[in-house]
Amino acid sequence: MLIDTVIFLPLVTAFVLALIPRSSTVVLKAVALGGAVATFALSLAFLPLGTNTVAEQSVAWISGTWLASYHVRIDALSLFFVLLTTLIGAACIWAAFSYAQVPRLRGYLFLILSFETTLLGLFTAADLLLFYIYWDLMLIPVFLLLTGYSEAPQARRAAWSYLIYNGAGGLVLLLGVVALVSQTHSFEVLGTAPTLSLKMEWWIFAAFALAFLIKTPAFPFHSWMPPTYTYAPPPVVAMVSGVQSKAGLFGLLVFALPLFPNASHAWAPALLIIAVASTLYGALTALGQRDAKTLVAFSSLSHLGLVWLALFAFDITSISAGILMMVSHGLIAAALFLLLGFIEERVGTRDLSRFGGLSLRAPRLAALMLIASMAALGLPGLSGFAGEFLIFIGSWQTQPLLTAISLISVVLACVYVLKLFQSSMHGPERLPREQAWLELKPREIWLVAPLLAAIIFLGVWPGWLNDRTPTTLPTAPVSSFVGTHA
Amino acid sequence: MTIQGVSISWPVLAPIVALTTGGLLIMLVDLLSRAASRTVLYAIGVLSCFATFATMLPLYGQTLTTLNGAFASDRFSWTFDAVLLLTLAITFLLSSLPRAEDGGSSGSYAALLIFCTIGGMVLAGANNLIIIFLGIEQLSLALYVLAGTGFPREASQEAALKYMLLGSLASGFLIFGSALLYGAAGSVSLAALGSAAANLTGLFVAGFALFLVGIAFKLALAPFHTWVPDVYQGSPLAVTGFMAVAVKAAAFAVLARIVYVVFGHDSIALIPLWVLAILSMLVGNLGAIRQRNLKRLLGFSSIAQAGYVAVALSGVGPGGLGAMLFYLVAYAFTTLGAFAVMALLGDGSEAYADLGAYRGLHFSRPWPAAAMALFFFSLAGIPATAGFYGKILLLQQAIIGGGWGIALAITLVLGTLVSFYVYGKVVWDMYAYVEGEEAQVTGNALAPWIAVAAGAIGTVVFGILPQAFNASQPFLSVATK
Repeated sequence: MLIDTVIFLPLVTAFVLALIPRSSTVVLKAVALGGAVATFALSLAFLPLGTNTVAEQSVAWISGTWLASYHVRIDALSLFFVLLTTLIGAACIWAAFSYAQVPRLRGYLFLILSFETTLLGLFTAADLLLFYIYWDLMLIPVFLLLTGYSEAPQARRAAWSYLIYNGAGGLVLLLGVVALVSQTHSFEVLGTAPTLSLKMEWWIFAAFALAFLIKTPAFPFHSWMPPTYTYAPPPVVAMVSGVQSKAGLFGLLVFALPLFPNASHAWAPALLIIAVASTLYGALTALGQRDAKTLVAFSSLSHLGLVWLALFAFDITSISAGILMMVSHGLIAAALFLLLGFIEERVGTRDLSRFGGLSLRAPRLAALMLIASMAALGLPGLSGFAGEFLIFIGSWQTQPLLTAISLISVVLACVYVLKLFQSSMHGPERLPREQAWLELKPREIWLVAPLLAAIIFLGVWPGWLNDRTPTTLPTAPVSSFVGTHA
Repeated sequence: MTIQGVSISWPVLAPIVALTTGGLLIMLVDLLSRAASRTVLYAIGVLSCFATFATMLPLYGQTLTTLNGAFASDRFSWTFDAVLLLTLAITFLLSSLPRAEDGGSSGSYAALLIFCTIGGMVLAGANNLIIIFLGIEQLSLALYVLAGTGFPREASQEAALKYMLLGSLASGFLIFGSALLYGAAGSVSLAALGSAAANLTGLFVAGFALFLVGIAFKLALAPFHTWVPDVYQGSPLAVTGFMAVAVKAAAFAVLARIVYVVFGHDSIALIPLWVLAILSMLVGNLGAIRQRNLKRLLGFSSIAQAGYVAVALSGVGPGGLGAMLFYLVAYAFTTLGAFAVMALLGDGSEAYADLGAYRGLHFSRPWPAAAMALFFFSLAGIPATAGFYGKILLLQQAIIGGGWGIALAITLVLGTLVSFYVYGKVVWDMYAYVEGEEAQVTGNALAPWIAVAAGAIGTVVFGILPQAFNASQPFLSVATK
């Protein structure tokens, strides 16, 4: 019951907003933030969940040609994704307060809150049908947010590439899901070992993997990402890159890897190459970007490539480090995109060559930006380092060559992150327009602070997260499919 | 009761009798009281829908035949009858709007709608070729006239003429095919055709091929779809909605009964249907891309949707019939809802048939825009709508079918991807960021709101709780003799 409350509280809040007149912006903001913060507070209630305990609830849903249940669960793995979603969700709702188009504010908050519910639903879904429903449903709020809530005309084009790419991925996943369920006659596949012919398993895993690669995204399937990340309003990007990009990787951990152990090994070489290609391509492309958001978008591609490497290296250390990296990347990406949004609101551009020297007049902004970008760069003591370092330790065991190659991306990360930081914060003060007030307002500081605090916390004590996750994967423990790797 | 060797079971025929009475009553009221407003006439129409539904209740779950086995009442026909009555009632609601077209004579318009529906109900239970032909003609003749009730709008006259000419041609194919089938089987009953289908003779194949052409025309399956865009665009709004749902449902009732009674779910004779399904899914979705008129767009969409439904009859898994019924019910709620929004905004007129009118609608009319978005997401098969669950049922059957079925599944998915653009475009128009859009004053009448609400409730309830439908169909029965 508590799980349902956490999942649906944002949606209920959204519908409450729909009943409030558009002009009462103060009430709208208060209700939205109240709902988002309450969701976060409620999700904290699952924190005491032990390594091997699960909070779950299941109600029979569909019977007949196949079985499905409304089955939701939070365990030590999904807990971190739920917390990530509710934390970033609350920050994004607060960040949305500065949305300039007052008459559209209600719809904007409505859609962000609905998006949060689809994400929470996805991370708690224990039934494949439920998982798929949320998987596809989350396209709608993002599509509408891109279509109707950004002044940039490019955002409306980005809406199409977002919808068509992710829609295609969703449909491929649907083929895979239906093919699987045609064999099992039940969507309740979690924790089962479906008997599939090897060929069938190979195809179904391919469908799952393709959908997950598109959603994350990974290298050849990423073309929807740069326009979406660049032109969507900052809170939306923060949620898409911070949370939604983990949906595919989460699906891989919870469904695809345990259900299709043979096929995942058969596909591992191809996916490892995609992983390393994403890592390098993302880093190299980030080097050449002048648009700050596009730069962070490609750095995101690079970092998530490392997670793919971690998962398909099939090493116990690297897989649990991959989970740490996902959470850490979510926090870092959300913080960076929110901060870049604040900067854009102030200087009116994202072009790194057109502004600079903000640190003089906005030292607090520069300080927060420093923490977030150093975390992206992988500075020890911040969560980015912990994730990357453990991934490399783990994947070195099984894939030394690919690990060595992807280490290059860490060097490149230093270059592009420093470029981002230096050209925006250091150097002579350059502003495209006269701006009296550059420093962050208290609201802006306080909404980013929890994300940065979490980054520091995980950087100092990665074991807090790392020690819980690996042995508590919902179905087969990680070691079972590590063991099958000869 | 037996008349000249024909046994008649009145309870089985009661729904048709009840609805006919309603139609005659409307004509009588119209005749006796020239002053009777269209509200009164259409209210009688809606009431006769409810009365007819009441006579259907005792038949629920039974498998009965009458007229010496020529007409059946089973779970299958029951569902179709319910869909037809829902469509009729909603059409009456939409026709009651002040700016709705009725050709200047509300009485005959309402009576024709009712007689058209009766044709559909005859088809739903038709168990031999003669009854099928009777039903088709009853349905079509009334509809040819209805298509022209946009008079004096030229597009409407064009629609009526095109529909009649091409429809008559199709009826020719149908009756000639029936004659050949009769020649091959020595009987007009579907059960007898079933035994004749065991060894496919040339005569039988030729007859079925011609028959299929006729039905494919009524269903607007590609390549027999060319009449659809013009007829859908030209006919009055409410009639187009009726056409899109009722005609499709009735013609699918016939086709499904033939496929399941004559061939079983899997036969080599169903390969032509496989081709029609694939073509329709592609033609319908691709053709819809460039449409700027919403009625034309929904016309192409109905071709694609018919293609999806035809998947269930193209030699797929044994659950095809259930999947087909679910999809048709989902399609009915969704399409009627979309037409209801159009009628609501334009007060029954054609004003909101143009896609340009939807630009920025979200900011002037948030609720109708949200409802329209819901219906279009359902047509596109976005989860948590009835269209989504219908689609995965179809996909499941196609994949179980294996081999050729996989091609159906892949085409279905490709068509759906194209349809994301088609339906997404309308949503995109409604929600796109437009500067300084003035709120337009548009229709807000109660009657279409009821229709919108019915469509939305059906779409969401069957989407989230598909078991509600499954539970009403614990097993599907089709009367075979």
